[in-house]
Amino acid sequence: MPYTTGMDPKEPIPVSLFFTCLADAFSPGVCTATVEVLERFGAAVSVPLSQTCCGQPAFNSGNRKEARAMARKFLLSFPDDGYIVTPSGSCAAMVKHGYPVLFRDEPRTLTRARAVGERIFELSQFLVDVLGVTDPKSDFSGKVTYHDSCHLRRGLGVVSAPRKLLRAIPGVEFVEMEESDRCCGFGGVFSLKYPRISCKMTERKVERILATGASYVTSGDLGCLLSIGGLISRVGYPVKAIHLAEILVGKTGGLSSFAADAASVEPRPPGTVRWAGGR
Amino acid sequence: MGGRPLMELNANAFGRNSRKALLDKTLQEALGRTTGRFQAHRDAAVAAFPEFEATRERASRIKRDVLDHLDTYLARFIEEAEKRGAVVHVARGPGQAREIAARIARDEGVTLAVKSKSMASEEISFNEALQGAGVTVVESDLGEFIIQLAGEAPSHIIAPAVHKTREQISRLFERHLGEPRTDSIPELVAMARRHLRAKFLSAGMGVSGGNFLVADTGSVVIVTNEGNGRMGTVLPRVHLAVVGIEKVIPRLADLPTFLRLLPRSASGQTISSYVSIVTGARRAGDPEGPERTHILLLDCGRSAILEGKYREILKCVRCAACLNACPVYQSVGGHAYGWVYSGPIGAVLTPLLVGLPEAAALPDASTLCGACADVCPVKIPLPDFLLELRSDAREQGLKAPGEIAAMKGYAGVMKRAGLLEAIERIAGVLGQFFTKGKGIAGLPYPFSGWTERRDFPVPAARPFRKRWKIQRGVTR
Amino acid sequence: MSSPAATEGDLVARFTETFTAAGGVLLLGPVEAALADLGEILRAEGVAALFFPEDDAAAREIAEALVPFGPFHLTTGAEVRGGSAAVTAGFRSAEAAIAETGTIVETSAGGRTLLPGLIADVHVSIVRAASVVARMEEALAGFTADPPRNISFLSGPSKTADIEQTLTVGAHGPKKAIALLLA
Repeated sequence: MPYTTGMDPKEPIPVSLFFTCLADAFSPGVCTATVEVLERFGAAVSVPLSQTCCGQPAFNSGNRKEARAMARKFLLSFPDDGYIVTPSGSCAAMVKHGYPVLFRDEPRTLTRARAVGERIFELSQFLVDVLGVTDPKSDFSGKVTYHDSCHLRRGLGVVSAPRKLLRAIPGVEFVEMEESDRCCGFGGVFSLKYPRISCKMTERKVERILATGASYVTSGDLGCLLSIGGLISRVGYPVKAIHLAEILVGKTGGLSSFAADAASVEPRPPGTVRWAGGR
Repeated sequence: MGGRPLMELNANAFGRNSRKALLDKTLQEALGRTTGRFQAHRDAAVAAFPEFEATRERASRIKRDVLDHLDTYLARFIEEAEKRGAVVHVARGPGQAREIAARIARDEGVTLAVKSKSMASEEISFNEALQGAGVTVVESDLGEFIIQLAGEAPSHIIAPAVHKTREQISRLFERHLGEPRTDSIPELVAMARRHLRAKFLSAGMGVSGGNFLVADTGSVVIVTNEGNGRMGTVLPRVHLAVVGIEKVIPRLADLPTFLRLLPRSASGQTISSYVSIVTGARRAGDPEGPERTHILLLDCGRSAILEGKYREILKCVRCAACLNACPVYQSVGGHAYGWVYSGPIGAVLTPLLVGLPEAAALPDASTLCGACADVCPVKIPLPDFLLELRSDAREQGLKAPGEIAAMKGYAGVMKRAGLLEAIERIAGVLGQFFTKGKGIAGLPYPFSGWTERRDFPVPAARPFRKRWKIQRGVTR
Repeated sequence: MSSPAATEGDLVARFTETFTAAGGVLLLGPVEAALADLGEILRAEGVAALFFPEDDAAAREIAEALVPFGPFHLTTGAEVRGGSAAVTAGFRSAEAAIAETGTIVETSAGGRTLLPGLIADVHVSIVRAASVVARMEEALAGFTADPPRNISFLSGPSKTADIEQTLTVGAHGPKKAIALLLA
C-alpha cells in the first residue's frame, strides 16, 4: 500500500468517487450517502463526471471487446493518484481482478490497470481498513441483517468491515442471517438469462432474511439489493432493502427505487406469487 | 437386465430442462436434502482438519506437476503396470474406446459384467458398447443400480439416484427384482445386496473406474464406501479398469494427500470405507484375484485440453464438492446439464470435451459466486474458466445476435457520459411518470424474466451525476 | 504436523477413536476376555457360521474358541464364495492398522486371502497393538518396490447413503466391522 492510513483532519485524504452506473441511475441516494460518509471521516471527495461504467456486465457475459472499451474509458476517467472508493463490491472487484484479465495482452494498459486496482476500495473496506473508522457516527435505528455479496466477500475478502461498522451504530440491532454468504441469485446478466433460477435463489435468500425478524437487509452491492428488494416489493414482505452507505449516513426508509414512502406500500399477503414454481 | 440408454448430449437444452427441474417437487425436495447434507458434512470435516489448506495446496501442486509431465508419468504407469501382468490399452477417442472394450469382452469370453462407478465410462457409453458385444452389464453401485433399473442417467457424480425417493425405488425393485414393497431403507439396501452378490459371484468380468493411477507402481486406486469396487476387482476372472489419463499421480507416497481430501470434500468422511490399490494381475500363489487385468486409459479429448488454457481442469478428482456448493446446481440438479458431468465442473468440462457449440448454454448457468472455487480440493479456478468460456463463445460466433447488438448499444452509450446522462434523465422522467415511484411490474424482453416474479427498480428522476452538478455547482 | 513420536498407547487410543468414528466396533484383548462380547455381537447380527483363512493361526484360534458362544458352526471361504446363504463372520489377522483414519490394512502379499473382509456379513480383524501406525504414509511405505496385487484399506463397515441420503450399512461388504485388539 503506497499510502499511509491516517486520520489527520488537517490533511484531507484525496478520494475519487466511483459512483457506479447502477446507483447513478436507480439509487442516487446511495452515491450521495457515500460522499457524505467519506467527508464525515476526513476525505476530500472529488467526483470525476466523465465516468460511466466499469464494463462488468459486458465482461461477465463474455463480451470482452465492449468491456475493454468501457474499461479504457474508466481508466482515463480517474486521476493518477489518490484513492478510488466505490459503494459496490462487484465493481471494485471488476477493476481489481477483471481488468488484468481484459488487458493481459496489452502491457501498457495492464500496468495502468494494475496501478489503479491497487488504489480502489469498496466503501466499508476503505472506512475500516484505510481510515481506521470504528464508529460511523450514524443515527440510524432499526433491526438489521447483512447479506455478504459474492464479489465483496470472495472477490475482495471483505467480511468483517461491514459488520464492525454496523455493530458500532447504537441504534442498530444487528442480527446474522443463516447462509449470509450464499449467492442471492442476481449474478448480473444471469438474472436475465436464467431468471427463474435467479428468482429461486433470491427466494431462498429472502426466506433467510425473514427468519431473522430484521426490518432491514443491507449489503455492499446494489445489484443484490435490487434483486432482493424487487422480490420483497412484489410480494410485500415486511422488510426493506437498504444499502450499507445509507445506513452509515443515517437514513431510514428503504431503497428509494421501490417506494418513495415505504409506509404507503400496501403489503400483499405472502405467497401470492404469480407462477406455480416449487419452493 | 436392461441396459442404460446412450448418454445423449443435451446440454444446450439447459434453459428448458432447468425450468422443468424447478417445477419438479420431488426433485426439489431431494436436492435440498442431499446437497445440504453433503455440504454441511463437508464443512464440518474441513473445520475438524486443520491441515486442510496446506493439503489442498500440496495436492494442487502435485497435480500441476503431473500435467506438466503427463506423457512421462503415463509412460511410467504403463511400464510398471505391464511389468506386473496388466494389459494396458490407450484409446484416443470414444469410438476406439468402445471397440477396445467390446474386443476385450469378446476375447475373454465374457457374458456378464458387474460394474462399479466410472464417470469416464459414461463418456464413452461403455455399457452400450458391451451390450453390443453380447455382454449383460450390471451396475453395482447402489445409486447406479437403481437408475439402471429406471433406465435413467445419473444426476449427481457421487449420489446418482439423489432424485429418487424410497417409494420410487421400492416400486422399481418390485417390478424388476420381484421384491415385496417396503418403505424401509435398510430392507431396500439388503435386497440390492442379495441380488448383486449373486451377480458378483457369477460375473466373468468386473469393471471399475479409477480414482487414481499410481505411476511408480502401475496401480489403479479405487475408493468406495459400498465395497463393490473391491468385489469387482477380486472375484471375477477378468478385471477391466476404465480410467481417464489425467488420473495419474506420481508416487504411491502421494496417495495419502489425495485420500485426505477426496472423502472429506465429497461427503465429509475422514476416509471412505474402502480403498483398494490393485497392481497388475493375480500373482502366482494368490488365492483370489482376476486371471486377467486390463486397464483401458481414455484420452477422449484430454490431451487437447492439456495443450490449452483450461489445462487445470484436468486436476479434478471428481469429488463433487463443487456441485454441492453450487446454488445453481442445488436449484436444478444434474440432469439439466445434459451430459455426464454437471454442476460447475460440468459447466466447464462438458464444453471442453464435446465442443462449445454443443454446450454453450452451460458456462452461462452460473452467477460466478465463487462458492465452487472455495471448496475445490485441488484449487481449480472454476469461475475464471466459466468467464473464459463465455468469451470463447463470443469469439466462436455462438452468441445470439440480439445479445451482441445490445452489448454494442450499451457500450456505445457508455462511451459518452453526456449521452448516458441524457438517457438517464429521459428514463427517469418516463419512469417516474408511469410508476409514480413504485416498482415496475412488467417489462419487455430481455427484462421480462426479471419482472415475472420481481419488481424492477424505477430509474431515479435525477441521476446522481446531475444531482452532484446541482449540489456542488460543478460542471465537469 | 510433526510432534514427539507417539507411543504405542497413544496410537492404539487414536485408532480406537477413529475406527469407532468410522462405524467399527473395537474390542480389547486378551482373547479370553473378549470372547463373550464378541459372541454376543455375532449372535445379535444373526451370524450362524464362522470362517477363517487356513494359514491364519490367530484367526483359527479365535474362531474355534467362539463356536460354543453361538453356537456357531465353522465353514470355509470357498463355501461362502460358492453362494452359501448362511450369515457369516469372517476372521483375519490384519497386516497393520492406521490410527489417523481408523483403517485396517489387508493385502494379498504372501498369497494371503482377502475373503473374510470381502464376502462375510461380519468382519473380525485381529490387530496387534504393535502393528498400529500413525499415518497412511507409513502403511504404504514398504510397498513401492514390489506391490502385491491387492492392498486394501478397510475403515468400518460397508456404507451407502444412496437412498434418500440416509446412511445405511451393509451395501456389498460386511455390515459390521469388528477389530479385536491384542497386545
